[in-house]
Amino acid sequence: MKTQMTDKRFERLKGVCMVGAVVALSFLVEVCWGSFPVGLFRFPLNILVMALWMVLLTMMYRSRAGSACARFMLSREATWLSLGMVAAIGITLGLQLKPSSTAWPTVVLLLFVQSHLLLVILRGWRNKRGIRWRFCLTHIGLLLALGAGFWGAPDREQLRAPVQRYPSNDAYTMEGEERRLPYTLELKDFVIEEAENGTPTHYEAQVMVDGTMVTLRVNHPYARTISEKIYLISFPTSPRGERYAIVEIVSEPWQWLSAAGIIMLLAGAMLLFVQGPLFNSKF
Amino acid sequence: MAWNIFPLWAGIVMLIAATASIWAAMKRERSTVAIATMALAILAMGGFIALLWATLERPPLRTMGETRLWYSFFILVSGLFTYSRWHYRWIMLFATVLAGVFIIINIAKPEIHDQTLMPALQSLWFVPHVSVYMFSYSLLGCATLLSVVALVRKSTDMDMAIERLLYAGLAFLSVGMLTGALWAKDAWGAYWSWDPKESWAAATWGLYLTAIHLAPSVMNTSRRWIYHTIILLGFVALQMCWYGVNYLPSAATSVHSY
Repeated sequence: MKTQMTDKRFERLKGVCMVGAVVALSFLVEVCWGSFPVGLFRFPLNILVMALWMVLLTMMYRSRAGSACARFMLSREATWLSLGMVAAIGITLGLQLKPSSTAWPTVVLLLFVQSHLLLVILRGWRNKRGIRWRFCLTHIGLLLALGAGFWGAPDREQLRAPVQRYPSNDAYTMEGEERRLPYTLELKDFVIEEAENGTPTHYEAQVMVDGTMVTLRVNHPYARTISEKIYLISFPTSPRGERYAIVEIVSEPWQWLSAAGIIMLLAGAMLLFVQGPLFNSKF
Repeated sequence: MAWNIFPLWAGIVMLIAATASIWAAMKRERSTVAIATMALAILAMGGFIALLWATLERPPLRTMGETRLWYSFFILVSGLFTYSRWHYRWIMLFATVLAGVFIIINIAKPEIHDQTLMPALQSLWFVPHVSVYMFSYSLLGCATLLSVVALVRKSTDMDMAIERLLYAGLAFLSVGMLTGALWAKDAWGAYWSWDPKESWAAATWGLYLTAIHLAPSVMNTSRRWIYHTIILLGFVALQMCWYGVNYLPSAATSVHSY
């Protein structure tokens, strides 16, 4: 019995060391080759890789009895490691020790967290008696929100465009590369209200977007398509003294999956409050 | 106008709260008088917040000083709740001391500016996002206080209350974070952008989730100190997320600066 326990502990310690080795390797890759090439994984490659990853994990789950790797990935140690990694990523990015969410170590850690989440869901979605709804809402919700942000990142496009008093389809990527929009933007009117101390209290721009007049305000973007929104960012003044608007065009096809995940997590959080802990009998 | 009378008003609130707390600490049984007196202190604190809201003509949730005001209010609420539910006779005194610290900071450094509510904060998400966060901070503050006592005394008496406070605090912390994500999508175009404040929020969330997932394995063993220590670390991360981040160089790049 004691030998069995020692073997189990050794197996799990080996798992933690393996994860540590992979993370160390990812640091080395980051130093040698720079950040993860997010742009390479645009649709449909991201879907293909994601599908392959899900199939591999499902196979791993089915072979869990004979696979030490699967047993480790489903262990409590892997759960603690995953959550500790979320905290570590937060602290590292919060201190801006490595100010990038696309760094190799961040990508590897997020992939590990998602892999563990998927395996835990496969195991627990039918078995969690009493807290099945809470388990499903929190875990599936987190996987959806995290997964949509992770796998959908290559398909996300963020452009900035100056909107002036004439129609234009010029836009720029965040790196400054010029792009042509498939429609024109034209500033028709700009309203700004200021407090006595000169601080803007309200501002809005009337913009003609592809022949449609829309009002853009902070917190009120215009949804041009189901996956694209236009945001009012700022209102600089040109060298000739004319005020114009800067808008941000964000195209994010995976946003609805993120939203679904967030709503599931919200419902799960409410159940967490209502049901409370289930381990009190042990205390 | 409302801010000028704050030192006097807060002094009276603290006096009532301290009376209730000392009374509760002295009594072995649950004291109805202490509960009623603390409820009076909470009502008085709530009255000041309502007055400030009316005077500013906007929700007083914008500046650090204003969030500290809500925290002082909610920590008294959470202290009263914990005392009435589980009868830890020292908890209201701890909560009052914590509320007092934030009130003193607010008197020394008010950071309550003017009536302006900048356009970025003019959103339906503003009030629920900030107030839910402040409430969760107060619940997690109470869980931290009890964890310190549990660590010092090596006692298991408070474990059930700590676990319940942790679940409730984490639930509201999650709601605060998720409403923030929905608001961020409307304001900045991304649910999550690993902004320094968001990163510290993720660190706090990760640490409290670790504590919750550790509980079944360590609570009945000699390793329960790990659970209490993680709760303390979670509270440190929470302070970083709330105001500590403003003192880091990364604050310059944060979109959460008002």
